[in-house]
Amino acid sequence: MFGRIVFIRILQAIPTLLGVATLVFFLLHLVPGDPVDALLGETAMAADREALRQALHLDQPILYQYGHYLSGLSTGDWGTSLVDHRPVLERIVERVPATAKLAFTSLLLAVLLALPLGYWAARHAGKSQDAAAMSFSLLGVSIPNFWLGPLLMLVFAVGLGWLPVSGMDQPGSMVLPAVTLGTALAAILSRMTRSSWLEAMSTDAVRTARAFGVSEHYIWWWHAARLAAVPVITMFALQLGAVLGGAVITETVFDWPGLGLLTIEAIQRRDYPLVQGCVLIIAAFYVLANLLADVLGLWLDPRQRYV
Amino acid sequence: MSKLVADLAGGCLLLPLLVLVVAVVTGQDGHAIDLDAVLNGISGAHLLGTDALGRDVLARLSEGLQLSLLVGLTVVLFGSMVGISIGMLAGWTGGWVDALLMRVADIVLSFPGILLAIALAAMLGPGIDNLVMALVAVGWVGFARLSRSQVLSFKSVPFVEAAIANGSGVPYIAVRHLLPNIAAPLLVEASFGLAAVIIGEAGLSFLGVGVQSPEASLGTMIREGTSLMLVSPSLVVWPGLVLFSLVMAVNLLGDALRDKLDVRMDCK
Repeated sequence: MFGRIVFIRILQAIPTLLGVATLVFFLLHLVPGDPVDALLGETAMAADREALRQALHLDQPILYQYGHYLSGLSTGDWGTSLVDHRPVLERIVERVPATAKLAFTSLLLAVLLALPLGYWAARHAGKSQDAAAMSFSLLGVSIPNFWLGPLLMLVFAVGLGWLPVSGMDQPGSMVLPAVTLGTALAAILSRMTRSSWLEAMSTDAVRTARAFGVSEHYIWWWHAARLAAVPVITMFALQLGAVLGGAVITETVFDWPGLGLLTIEAIQRRDYPLVQGCVLIIAAFYVLANLLADVLGLWLDPRQRYV
Repeated sequence: MSKLVADLAGGCLLLPLLVLVVAVVTGQDGHAIDLDAVLNGISGAHLLGTDALGRDVLARLSEGLQLSLLVGLTVVLFGSMVGISIGMLAGWTGGWVDALLMRVADIVLSFPGILLAIALAAMLGPGIDNLVMALVAVGWVGFARLSRSQVLSFKSVPFVEAAIANGSGVPYIAVRHLLPNIAAPLLVEASFGLAAVIIGEAGLSFLGVGVQSPEASLGTMIREGTSLMLVSPSLVVWPGLVLFSLVMAVNLLGDALRDKLDVRMDCK
């Protein structure tokens, strides 16, 4: 039963991925006027223009371009960078480790901060501790990471000189980007932890456990925690994908050589095939993370399988 | 709790309001370049100092703030109009129309929020109208999903069935019977959406794909300030602080509205 539902969910992700690829394909055609003009300027030599047009297959009918693009995607030919003429996929792959490292660290940080905070707020629901924890959460959601980053830099790198300003070569260079990226995640996760723990505490299972005289400590950490874990874990899996969106800005702020920075560099150089590749890979990760969240939810909470 | 939230929201609005009012009073031009007064500190003429081109920071803050609000409200207005129409159409019609429209929504939701806006804005080119278009293209989805689920739950309520039996046309039912009943959650969605759009505009401008110089946006001001952080830290502190207070106020407003209108936001 479970296997079959998971299989169906995986199958359902395929058209979504196809839709994502289609949207990314049409991005290039959003460039106003002639993309070749946009890239080379209107004064370029006719031969250069023709060469570029052929390189981007813009001289072919759009359906052919689309078919060529899709078949290229499936065979690993994601096009060639217009700037350094290297394969797009190769340029993307070499940037993945940096982003993975940053994403992993900030997620870890977010979890280590959010779970205790959420528990603490739930334990003191309605009191000042709760208000304090949730104020932090609101702050974390409202503070834009492109401001938090420079602020942290200003205080900890420029002012106190404890940490490097940017890049990823020096020890400690991970700290500020990870905090910047992790803050919003921690805010969202702590809010989720609090509310689902509180919700779990008001279930019949907990009431029954209380009636049986189970200790309050045991109820919080065993009965309620297991119930509360489902939405929190699902939310965490969703954040796996969302963190990549935040990485675009955070990496730009800290000059962190990952996928996000590559995307922005490609945009600045109008390297359209590379922009397409970057957007596609990040969206694909995102779709997979959502799928993972879905499957985890089904696995942890069998009730969801019948909805 | 709700009273406290409203008070906090008011407190957060204070800074943006102050910026707007004082900028009008001092009457400086945010575009006037003065190369003799580059990176000046606080002075009588320039209450918050000047930037790298000698422009008055306060005047630019006020201009950026107005832009944030203008873009935010425009995007939410158009996004909600598009989204609510699509969502209501999908929910009411059902069948393949619903399936098709919701697949489109799913695809838009398959991108991390800001990424699609960045890509669209980058491809469309710089300019405020392109920025608005990119943000609307991402922002309508929330309204569409919400209004669809709301319409589904109201479709078979007696007063709607009575209206159908009465021979009322679909547009009439949509406007007179459905919209007033689904307005509350949509209003809450709109206020959180406004906060997201304001951050989105500043974020895109920060990345250089939104508002371009010499036009002032809080996002471009933060970017310019970041590069001058060592010389003049206040250039990055002020625009961020104003942006942050504004977003915080709007988020708190959303919270207050949600409590007041008693909306459960789990229908998304």
